[in-house]
Amino acid sequence: MLKSTIVDPRVRLVPSKKLLEFLDSQKEYLPEVTENLAKIMKQKGFTLPLNIQIIKDKEVVCKRPKIDHPLLKKLTENIKFTSEKPLKNKPDSSKEKDNDEETPNEKKNFLLLSDLHWLNNTLVELRRQDHCQVFLHQLIDTCELILPENELKPRNPELEARCERLRAEQHNRDYLKMTKNVDAGLKHYPEDTISYQIKSLNKQIIAVVQFIFSVAAGFTFGFFGVNLMVGPLPFGFRILLGVIVALIIALAEMYFLAKKLHEYDEVLDAPKRKQQATTPVKRKVVAKPPTEGSQVQTLKPHAD
Amino acid sequence: MTAGTSEKEAAGQLLDNLYLDMFHLIEEHTQCRVNLERSNASGAILLARTRFQHGGSNSVSTAQIPTENSAEFNALCRVVDSEDGICVERQAVDKSKGYVEPLHWFSVLPPMSLRHAVSKFKDCIELVAESTNLQRQLGEALDWIAKLRQIALLN
Repeated sequence: MLKSTIVDPRVRLVPSKKLLEFLDSQKEYLPEVTENLAKIMKQKGFTLPLNIQIIKDKEVVCKRPKIDHPLLKKLTENIKFTSEKPLKNKPDSSKEKDNDEETPNEKKNFLLLSDLHWLNNTLVELRRQDHCQVFLHQLIDTCELILPENELKPRNPELEARCERLRAEQHNRDYLKMTKNVDAGLKHYPEDTISYQIKSLNKQIIAVVQFIFSVAAGFTFGFFGVNLMVGPLPFGFRILLGVIVALIIALAEMYFLAKKLHEYDEVLDAPKRKQQATTPVKRKVVAKPPTEGSQVQTLKPHAD
Repeated sequence: MTAGTSEKEAAGQLLDNLYLDMFHLIEEHTQCRVNLERSNASGAILLARTRFQHGGSNSVSTAQIPTENSAEFNALCRVVDSEDGICVERQAVDKSKGYVEPLHWFSVLPPMSLRHAVSKFKDCIELVAESTNLQRQLGEALDWIAKLRQIALLN
C-alpha cells in the first residue's frame, strides 16, 4: 500500500446531535445559515424556517481570530499545568460515543471551517441578544474531528510485476559478476561458444592493430615523408622526427583505445546476459560436469 | 455578578477563538506539508532526469561531493531560531569569503534540469521552516486550550 498525497487539506468536523438540536431550538433567531449546514440539517430531518437566508461558504469571512494573549495569561496564571491525560481522555470518550451513534452513511456530513466561523459569529450575536449562553467550545466538545489524511492506494500490479522482474535481473547480474572469478565455468557463461569468443577477441585485436598501424604510419611519415619534402636531412634528425610524430599519434590513439576497451568491458559485464535465453538450452545438450550443470539450473529461475 | 458573567463571556470567547485558531493552523499546516511533498517530489524527478539525460551514473554522483579532506567552505544557508519562529538565512555566493556555489561541483555549466532541481529543493527548505513555525504555533494553541479548559469559570 502506498500513501498518496493529501487531496483535501480541510479540517472536517462531524456535527453532534447536541449541536444540531441546539441550532434547531435557536432557529427563529438565526438570520442566515451556511449552505453546507442547511444541507446537513435537512438530511437530519430538521426543518428551517423559510425566511432564513442561505449563504454561500465563500461569503463567510474566514480569518484567523486574534487572540488576546494578555487576558489568556491573566486567566491561566494560577493554573498549574497538569498532565494532559484528562484532556486526552475526554475527546476519546466522546469520539467513541459518536462512533456508536452514527452510521457510516451519516459520516458524509461535515462542518467545514467556514461553517465554524459562521457558528462562532452567530453565537456571539445570540449571546449579545441574550437568547442563550452557549459557547462554541461547548457545542463542538462532543463533535468528532476528522483530520486530513493520506489516502492509501494499492500499488499497481503491473508496476509491481515489472519491479519484481527488474530486481531479479539485477540480482542475477550481481550474482554472476560476483561468482565470475570463482567458478571457471561461469567465466564465459553466455559466450561459451567459440565463435562468440573469437568475435569479441577480434574486435579487441582490431582495435590494438589499428593502434599499432597508425603509430607505425606516423613514424614512417616522420622518417621518410619529411625527408622527401624538405630535402636531405641527417639520419639522427630523421629518427627524432619520426619518434616525435609517432608519439603524438600514440597519445591521441591511446585515449581512444582506452575508451573503446572500457566500453567493451561494460558491454561484456552487463547487457549481454539478457541474450542468454537460447544458451541455457545449448548448455544442457553439451556434456558438462554435474556440479556446473546444477549451478546453471539453480540460476535459471533467477534469469527469467 | 455582571463582572462575573462578562469575565465568563470573555473567557468563553477566548476559548472559541483558540479553537478556531487551532483549526486554521491545522489546515495551514497540512497545506504546507502537501506543498513540501510536491516540491520535494518534483525536485527528485528533476534530479533523476538530469542523470537520465547525461547517461549513466557519471553525470551526478556522490563522488563529486567534497569529502573531509577537501577545502573548507561556509554554509550558504543557515537556520535562525528567533523570537517569532524559525527562518532561513541565505548568503550570496562569494568565493573570496568562502561561500561556494555547490552546483559547480557537478559541472561548470550545469544542465537546466539540475538548476530547476536546486531551486525546488531550496523551496523545500523554506517550506520546512514554515511548517515548523506552524507546528509550534499549533502546539502553543493546544497548550493554551488545555490550560484554559481547567479554569473553573468555564465549567
